[in-house]
Amino acid sequence: MVNFAALVRDHWVHIFVPMGFVVGYYLDRLQDQKLTAYRNKSVLYARELKPGEEVTWK
Amino acid sequence: MMKILTPTLMLIPLTWLSSFSHLWRPTLSYSFIISTLSLTWIKNMSETGWTSLGLYMATDTLSTPLIILTCWLLPLMILASQDHMKTESQTRQRLYITLLIFLQLFLISAFSSTELIMFYIMFEATLIPTLMIITRWGNQLERLSAGTYLLFYTLISSLPLLVALLMIQTNTGSLSLTSAQFYFSLIPQHNFLWLACFLAFLVKMPLYGLHLWLPKAHVEAPIAGSMILAAVLLKLGGYGMTRISTIVDPISKNMTYPFITLALWGVIMTGLVCLQQMDLKSLIAYSSVGHMGLVVGGVLTQTSWGYSGALILMIAHGLTSSALFCLANINYERTHSRIMYLTRGLQIIFPLMAIWWLSFTLANLALPPLPNMMGELTIIVCMFNWSWWTIIFTGLGTLITAAYSLHMFTTTQRGALPPHITSLTPMNIKEHLLIILHLLPLLLLILKPEIITCWSS
Amino acid sequence: MNPITLSMFTTALLSGTLITLSSTNWLMAWMGLEINTMAIIPIIARKHHPRATEAATKYFLIQAPAAATILFCAITNAWMTGQWEINQMSTDLPIILILISLAFKMGMAPVHSWLPDVLQGLDLMTGLVLSTWQKLAPFYLILQLHSTHSLTLILLGTMSILVGGWGGLNQTQTRKILAYSSITHMGWMLVILQFSPELTLMTFTLYVTMTLPVFMILHQNNTLSINKLPILATHTPTISALIPLLLLSLGGLPPLTGFIPKWLIIQKMSHLGLFGLATITALSGLFSLYFYLRLSYISSITMSPSSNLTTATWRLTPNSIPLGLKTTIVPSMMLLPLTPMINSLLL
Repeated sequence: MVNFAALVRDHWVHIFVPMGFVVGYYLDRLQDQKLTAYRNKSVLYARELKPGEEVTWK
Repeated sequence: MMKILTPTLMLIPLTWLSSFSHLWRPTLSYSFIISTLSLTWIKNMSETGWTSLGLYMATDTLSTPLIILTCWLLPLMILASQDHMKTESQTRQRLYITLLIFLQLFLISAFSSTELIMFYIMFEATLIPTLMIITRWGNQLERLSAGTYLLFYTLISSLPLLVALLMIQTNTGSLSLTSAQFYFSLIPQHNFLWLACFLAFLVKMPLYGLHLWLPKAHVEAPIAGSMILAAVLLKLGGYGMTRISTIVDPISKNMTYPFITLALWGVIMTGLVCLQQMDLKSLIAYSSVGHMGLVVGGVLTQTSWGYSGALILMIAHGLTSSALFCLANINYERTHSRIMYLTRGLQIIFPLMAIWWLSFTLANLALPPLPNMMGELTIIVCMFNWSWWTIIFTGLGTLITAAYSLHMFTTTQRGALPPHITSLTPMNIKEHLLIILHLLPLLLLILKPEIITCWSS
Repeated sequence: MNPITLSMFTTALLSGTLITLSSTNWLMAWMGLEINTMAIIPIIARKHHPRATEAATKYFLIQAPAAATILFCAITNAWMTGQWEINQMSTDLPIILILISLAFKMGMAPVHSWLPDVLQGLDLMTGLVLSTWQKLAPFYLILQLHSTHSLTLILLGTMSILVGGWGGLNQTQTRKILAYSSITHMGWMLVILQFSPELTLMTFTLYVTMTLPVFMILHQNNTLSINKLPILATHTPTISALIPLLLLSLGGLPPLTGFIPKWLIIQKMSHLGLFGLATITALSGLFSLYFYLRLSYISSITMSPSSNLTTATWRLTPNSIPLGLKTTIVPSMMLLPLTPMINSLLL
C-alpha cells in the first residue's frame, strides 16, 4: 500500500492554489448575486429574466 | 475576477510552506495554470464593454490584454530568474518569488479596478516590490541610486495626480470608471488639472525628457525586474493615459501639442542614443523609451485608431522587449558582461540562440506580419492623419529603429568571436522554453489581432 | 531609578497631560503642562551620563520659557477681556504668542531645533514618550484656539513638513532622524487641524502606531546610529526584512498604513478647494521619504552577499521578537484596507 500519510505530508501544499480558485469562484458568485439583486430592485432595469437568460456582466 | 486573484494570493503560502527542493517547480506550474485561466477573459460578450463586473473590479477590451500579459509574465519571470537565484539562501529565494507574486497581484488590481483612486493606490503599490527587486537583487552599487530615481520620479509626478483625482471627486462626487461618461462634463476645464492627470503617466511611460529613471532601473535590475518593468510596468502609464484621457477630454485639444512633439522627437533621439550604446541592456531600455514615445503619440491624438494602435504596440512591445532582456541576460549569465563589444560574434558558439536573437530583433524593428508592425503602422497612420508633418518624425524613427536593431543583432551575433571567449556553457532547454514562450504569443496574436485592438464587440 | 520614584513620576506625567486635557481654564491648563514637564525631566535624567543631563537641562530650558509665555499671554488675555476661558480668546496678540509658544513646546518648525538634540540624549523608550505623549497636551490647546489665524497654523504646519524632511537628510543618528520624522508628522497634523480636528486625531493615532514599532526595534537592538542598522539582519532577520516596509509606511507610501493620513488629509483639503496647499504639502512630504528610503537601504537592502556597507556582528541564534513588537508591527503596515472603518470610527 502506498504510504498515504507520507504522501499527504509531502504534497499537502498543493491544496492552496485549487483552494484559492474555489474560494475565488465562490466570491465571484456572491458578487454576481449581489449585482443581480441590485439590478432586479432598481427602477431602471427591473425585469424578469427570461428562462435560461444569463446576466451579461459575468 | 476573484477566480484569478485568490489563486494568485494562495501562491504565497505555497511559496513559503513547500519544501525547498519543491520551491520553483510548483510555483512555476501553478502560475502557468493561473495564466491559462486568465485567458478566459478574452471572451467578452458584454453589452456595456465591461465584463467580469464586480463591485470594485471589472475588465474591458482595454484592460483584458494587459491583465493577461501580466499573468503570462509571472511564470516567465520565475523561469528566467531560477538560475541566478541559485546562490541565494532559501529564505531569500522564497522572498524573491513572493515579491514577484505581490507584483502580479498589484498589477492585476491596478488594471482591473473600476475606481480611479484604487487604480492610483495599486499604481503606487507596484513601486515597493519593484524597488525591492531592483535594489536588493541588482548587482552593482548603482542599483541604490536607480531605486531612488525610480521611486522619486514616480512619486513626484504622481502626487499631483492624487490631488487631481480628489479634485475630480470633489467636483463630480465619483471616481468610478464605469460611470465616467455621465459625469465628465462636470469636471472643471483647467490646464493644470490636465497636466496633473497626465504627468504621472507620462513619467511612467516614460516620455522622452522624463525618462532618465528607466535606463538606470533597467540596467541595474535583475532579469525578472527588467522583464516586468519593460513588459508591464511601463504599460501602466499607457493604460492610465488612455483611461484618464476619456475623462478630461476637451482640455486635451491644445494641451497635447507639446507632448506629442516631445514624444515624436523622443523617438528619434532615443534611436540615436541606441545607435551609440555600448551596453546591451541600456540599448534595449532606450529602445523601449522610443517605442513608448509612439504609444504616447497615439494615445494623445485621442482617436480610436490611436488608442488601438497604442494597445497593440504595448502588448507587442511588452513581449518583445521582455524577450530581448531575457536574451541579454542569457548572454550575461555566461559572459558576465553587458558590453556589446566584449560579447560579439556569439552565433559561432550558440547557433540556435542566433535564431532567437534574429526573430526578436526583427520583432523589435517591426517586421510584418508581427503585431509590432501592426501597432506601429496604426499609430503612424493615425499621426499622419492628425498632421502630415509627423511622417518626417515617424518615418525617420522607424528607419533608425531598424538601424539600431540590426546593429544590435550584427554586433552580438555576427562576426568573429573575441579572443577572450573560449568556451561557454551551452543554452539549456529552460532558456529555449523561456524564449519560445515569448515568441509563441507574439506569433499567435497576429492570427487574431482583434483581441488586442481595444475594440468592444 | 527606584521603581517607586519612577512610578510616581510616570503618574505625574500622565496626570499632568490629563489635567490639561480636561481643563477649560488657562491657569489649570498651564498647571497641567508644568506638572508634565516637571515629571519628565527626572525621567530624562535618570541615566547618569552627561548626555542625559544635557538633554534634561535643554528640555527644561525650552519648556520653562514656553510655559511662562503661555502664562503671560493668559494673564494678558484675562487683563484685556476679563476671563480665563481657553476657547474664548479673542485678542490677536495673545493668541499668536500662545500658538508660537505651544509650537515651541512641541518642537514644530521654525522653533524645532531643540527636539533632535534633546532626543539624542535620551534612551529610545523615553524618546518615544517625548515624541508622542508629550505632544498631546499642546495639541489639545491649539485645537481649542483654532478658530482664527489659519495662516499661522498653515505656515507652521507646512514649514514643519518641509523642515522635518530637510533636516533629516544629513543625519546619521537614528534618534535624530526619528525626531525629524516626528516634526514632519506634527506638521501634517497641524496643517489639517483647523479644517478637521478628527483627522488630526487620526493622524496622531496612526503616527503612534507606526512609530512605536520603529522605536521598539531600535531599542531592542540598541541601534543608535545608522552604521549599526545592518546588525538587524543578524539579530532579527524577519524584522530586517520588514523594516523597509515600516519605514516606507512612515514615509506614507501606498499601500501601507502611512498613506491613510496623507490620503484623507489631501482629500479634505481638496474638498475645501485648497488644491495648491494640498500639492505643496504632499510634495514636501517627499523629503522625509528620502531619508526613510536611505535608512531602509542601509538596514536591509545592502547586506551580504551583495556589497555591504558596514561590518555587522555575527550571531548564530537570532533574537526572538517580543510580543509587543509582533502586535504593533502588523497594524503599522497593513491598515490601509481598513480605511473606511477607521474613517467611520474617527470622523
